[in-house]
Amino acid sequence: MATVTYLILQIVMVLLFAPLVNGVIGKIKALTQKRTGAPVLQLYYDLYKLMRKTAVVSDVSSWIFRVTPYIVFATALTASLMVPVSVEILPAGNMLSALPGDMILLFYLLALGRFFICLAALDTGSTFGGMGSSREVMISSLIEPSVIVVIFTLGLISKSTSVFSIMASMAHSGTSFVGPVTILLFLAMLIIVIAETSRIPFDDPSTHLELTMVHEAMILEYSGRHLALMEYGAAIKQLLLMTLMVNIFLPFDLLPTTGSGAIVVALSLLIYLAKMLFLALIIALIEVNTVKVRFFSIPNLAALSFILAFLGFMQYFVLGRS
Amino acid sequence: MEHYLDLLSVLMLLTAIMLVSHKRIRSYIRTFRLQAVLIAIIAGFMGMQSLVNEGSFDILVICAIIVALKVVIIPMLLHKTFANVEDVVEKDFYLNIPILILMSCVLVVFSYFTLSGISALNEGHVNLQVVNAFSVILIGFFFMISRKKAIGQIIGYLVMENGIFVTAIFSTHGMPFIVDIGIFIDMITAVLIMGVMVVQINDKFDSININNLRNLRG
Amino acid sequence: MGLVLWIAPLLAVALSQIAKRARTLHAISICVSLLMLVVAGFCTHAVMTAGQLTYSFLNHLFLIDSLSVIILDIVTAIYFLTCVYAIGYLQNEVRHGKIGEEKLRLYYMLLYIFLFAMVLALTVSNIGILWVAIEATTLASAFLVGFQNNPNSLEAAWKYIIICSVGIAITLVGIIFLHLSSVDVIQSGDALKWNVLLSEAKNLNEPVLRFAFLFIVVGFGTKAGLAPMHTWLPDAHSQAPSPVSALLSGVLLNSAMYAIIRCLTIVNVNIGDSRYTSRILIGFGLLSVVTAAIFILSQKDYKRLLAYSSIEHMGIIALAIGLFTPLSIFAGLLHMMNHSLTKTMLFLSSGNILQKYNAREISKISGLLKVLPVTGPIFLLGLLAISGTPPFSIFGSEVNVFISIFDANHPWLGVMLILLLAVIFAGIAATMFKIFFGDGDTVEMQAGEINLPGAVVMGILLIVIVVTGIYLPDGLKALFIAAQHIILGG
Repeated sequence: MATVTYLILQIVMVLLFAPLVNGVIGKIKALTQKRTGAPVLQLYYDLYKLMRKTAVVSDVSSWIFRVTPYIVFATALTASLMVPVSVEILPAGNMLSALPGDMILLFYLLALGRFFICLAALDTGSTFGGMGSSREVMISSLIEPSVIVVIFTLGLISKSTSVFSIMASMAHSGTSFVGPVTILLFLAMLIIVIAETSRIPFDDPSTHLELTMVHEAMILEYSGRHLALMEYGAAIKQLLLMTLMVNIFLPFDLLPTTGSGAIVVALSLLIYLAKMLFLALIIALIEVNTVKVRFFSIPNLAALSFILAFLGFMQYFVLGRS
Repeated sequence: MEHYLDLLSVLMLLTAIMLVSHKRIRSYIRTFRLQAVLIAIIAGFMGMQSLVNEGSFDILVICAIIVALKVVIIPMLLHKTFANVEDVVEKDFYLNIPILILMSCVLVVFSYFTLSGISALNEGHVNLQVVNAFSVILIGFFFMISRKKAIGQIIGYLVMENGIFVTAIFSTHGMPFIVDIGIFIDMITAVLIMGVMVVQINDKFDSININNLRNLRG
Repeated sequence: MGLVLWIAPLLAVALSQIAKRARTLHAISICVSLLMLVVAGFCTHAVMTAGQLTYSFLNHLFLIDSLSVIILDIVTAIYFLTCVYAIGYLQNEVRHGKIGEEKLRLYYMLLYIFLFAMVLALTVSNIGILWVAIEATTLASAFLVGFQNNPNSLEAAWKYIIICSVGIAITLVGIIFLHLSSVDVIQSGDALKWNVLLSEAKNLNEPVLRFAFLFIVVGFGTKAGLAPMHTWLPDAHSQAPSPVSALLSGVLLNSAMYAIIRCLTIVNVNIGDSRYTSRILIGFGLLSVVTAAIFILSQKDYKRLLAYSSIEHMGIIALAIGLFTPLSIFAGLLHMMNHSLTKTMLFLSSGNILQKYNAREISKISGLLKVLPVTGPIFLLGLLAISGTPPFSIFGSEVNVFISIFDANHPWLGVMLILLLAVIFAGIAATMFKIFFGDGDTVEMQAGEINLPGAVVMGILLIVIVVTGIYLPDGLKALFIAAQHIILGG
């Protein structure tokens, strides 16, 4: 019973809030630039509009082109099941075996989605698609070493790679946020999240110039419900990566244990939303204050992320020996 | 308390690595300034500790000197010296930046293994702060040899001095006061002299690219 | 009375600021250097009778024993002689329009600061202040090296200041570790004093001390011109004006070596035997001699040749001191004195040659014996002396070094060293042939000495190195033996 509640709650939260995150980030950017900007619910309106339009499919494309939006949406949603939005609604002990949520599985589910997008972009034979694919693949392979080191270190700290146990151990243990290890891993993870969600400084999500696109170039050929699913999938992926960061590194979930289950859960969801707002603020400020870097400067950023993660690992290794 | 010092030492190491990843002269000076602020905070903490434990003002005075010298005066001097030099961005490197960042990573590991052999620093476990501080020295030296412009050598030297000061503070709670004062006087004089020489080099050689200084060989 | 050594140079800086004519500046310089020489003589006498000279000023900050007093004497004597030479040299430079009168004042002021820093390094008991003083010598001499303000000297000055500052920074790391090794044993009022460190040497933390020693040798070795940290030396010593070159080569290198020796004693007493430090010092020394041998063979500039010869002799000194037997230490100290005197003579005569011929290349110098009747022969004899020919003093100390190497059962080291010195002799001899007996370009030069005080100074130095090559006065010998005892830690 607890499993089903957890699953329903999780899916509802994810589907409900994924487009909201985009809107919030866009609104914060607009406000800092002293313009009004699009309404916060803009992505909802877009998705609704897109679902009602017909999907145009090129007839030189194969089944990959048609299947990819579904795969992207499905992998993102499945991966999000492994990242609980609130530590308090973590399923009880016997859940860990029923819903094994390994961090490595998480990242590679997302990688599966990315793989299919890259193929689909090549499928239509358009040059922009090919360009977007090659860039996306390069960025993701550069960022992968730091992902692995971050997962490793988190696994070392909490003695398991399951997302549930990492969150639980960070929430209930003494590793406070201002320790050297967590700050380094937080910064490394921040760069990883920005890379994976294709935001400035890796890629500008609001550009119209095809030569500067990475992610957008790959979904250039999609329309109608396919495009809706791709956009929704990307939004869910962004939500889940941000949830991962927020719940691991900012586990301010020390709620009083009094009160009935429902109230505890509701409060914890509110705290979760507050934390997401904070992270959205950070990402928006980074977007506003930096520029999209030259494509060949991306290895610099990736190296920086790697060394942050590696230093975090080293500091843990040095401290943890005691 | 130890916790915060650990954190500060890691942030200092981070600024050293950020320095290696920059390309613009202004960024070098700005990152150096950030590092100097961190060092001043570390000195301030240790100074308060020594004030509470032993009642001595030495380290606090040194903290004040650091703020005056390294946070305010030296960056100003450097900005003025390099304002008239034409190149603002270094375009030319021996090795590209990601490799430089990875090599500074290697230096951190190297300093860890070197210092873990010395038992006086480790009361049971390796002293994280001294490892970080020593790595800053090595990274400063590495920065010096990896840059082709004169500013790189000056900033590398200053970062080395930062690292040395923090190593001293973490391992022995500071050198004798008079020695510290002497070190600061030497350092500021060295920066002044180097600044004057850079201006003269720019005059005579029309660039501050160190590779142009090749007349005396053999 | 010994504190006059500290006050006199600072007073001289103040006085030269207000002096109006060049002649006053020269007069101040002679007076101050003579005063320093006299006070040094007084200190020597005090040390020879009492063993140590110290005042309770600032908790015994001023402390000299036999080792420091030997080097102090060398410093003040050579400083006096170069000041006398410099009068003639600088007057010529001003006459030929190469230096303005304002620069003369700057020259003297920097020189006094340089002298002050060096004397401070030799007479202070706190190793931290020793460090500060040696760094100060780098800073003071940086502009002296770049004095002629052409691209080459600017390059030399830049290399000098960067490499030496980095080396000195490395030394500071070593001193921090030295402090760390003593933190439990010595109370903070006495921290880093070499006499206290020596007396507590057995109780210091050994691994930290070993680590510290390595850094100290690398760092101070940069300043002393040991390979592979020597790269600044040929440039700096050849581009500086000749009196400054003589001071840098004859005096500064010794001070850096002195600092290494102080720390060496402490480490050796702590570890008990000298194998660790021996390996390090003999390694660096041998490498220096090898480097010098390789580069001397291909030199085209005679001042650069002399600079490489400095590297070679510093290598021999490091080797001798590192070997750490009583005879080798005696030979090393003697070699310090002999090398300083001979090298000074050589650099001063090369200054005369440079002023007369206006050329730095060996190929442009010809007919030296006729054109400069005093400097020429002295330069010839000096080149013979520096490559180890009897009856000059360097031959004596080198022979002692060889004897001590073979006595200590290191035959291969001895053989290698002999071969290297033979190679160096060949290189210098080839240069001599080119200068003195070659045909070369016959440029019409007016024969005649241009620097009369300088000629007198060089004559004095020549007489001294011949005399000390044959006979060492008893007082001097006793002083050296006392210093040897101190180094051995007894």
